[in-house]
Amino acid sequence: MQAQTLNRRWPWVAIVLSLTIAFVFAMISPAADSLQGFERVRIMYVHVPAAWLAYLAFFVTFGGSVGYLITRNLRWDRIAAASAEIGVYFTGLAIALGMIWGKSTWGVWWTWDARLTLTAIMFFVYLGYLALRRTTDDSVLRAGRAAVLGVLGAVQIPLVHFSVIWWRGLHQGPSVVRADGPAIQDPLMLTALIVGVLAFTVVYVSLMVKRIELIHLEDRKAAIDQSIERPVAGEAVTVPDLGGSS
Amino acid sequence: MNGWGWVAFAYATAYGSLAVFAGSIAWRIRNTRRSIGETE
Repeated sequence: MQAQTLNRRWPWVAIVLSLTIAFVFAMISPAADSLQGFERVRIMYVHVPAAWLAYLAFFVTFGGSVGYLITRNLRWDRIAAASAEIGVYFTGLAIALGMIWGKSTWGVWWTWDARLTLTAIMFFVYLGYLALRRTTDDSVLRAGRAAVLGVLGAVQIPLVHFSVIWWRGLHQGPSVVRADGPAIQDPLMLTALIVGVLAFTVVYVSLMVKRIELIHLEDRKAAIDQSIERPVAGEAVTVPDLGGSS
Repeated sequence: MNGWGWVAFAYATAYGSLAVFAGSIAWRIRNTRRSIGETE
């Protein structure tokens, strides 16, 4: 029983531990940054990991969608669905944290910069993906439709990522993954950012484990519901006696 | 709002929303387990 409880609860423990470690690193990293200004730079340690996790989650949705289209195995569809829901959450979080950063540094909550606009479009496309999954109870039909959108939607990932290079805007360019090395010179600041990305990755994996567990439970519930015979019009209704000859 | 105020706002948004999102999954798992008669 204890092993079963531990097996079910480790994702929650992992989430709390990883976020606590990330928080400590973010708070003890040096605040002064000549480009971004004092304490506000700590917002970067949650904003950047949230954005990266959105990419990762939608890439996994892409992989699950391709896997389903090739194998027609619903296991791939479950992975794609779970990851899309988590990806939508992380995209929304990245947008919200970006707005807080924007207001505190640029003076505006929102601007129609290419990165911001394309991220918002990606957010709504994957909201559409989740809505599409609710249009039918037929699991095979649902998986097929969702897989097509899961593949097409992934086109946006490189568009969003490279938008800061392809179009000039307010949003800064890449800070870490650059041809000439990371723009962040302070090793403690870089460490805090990497720890944040790793911690959010642990959060993503843990949420995926629990979300897939939920999908399995919902499938079992649906199977049980279908196996129970229910009267079509309720037990109070009886078949009318039409009095015809038999 | 000063720098720390913005940082507190951002971390409350991140950690608070994550708690709600993770909590909603935990809640749905618990309710579904109960509805199919499985013990926690």
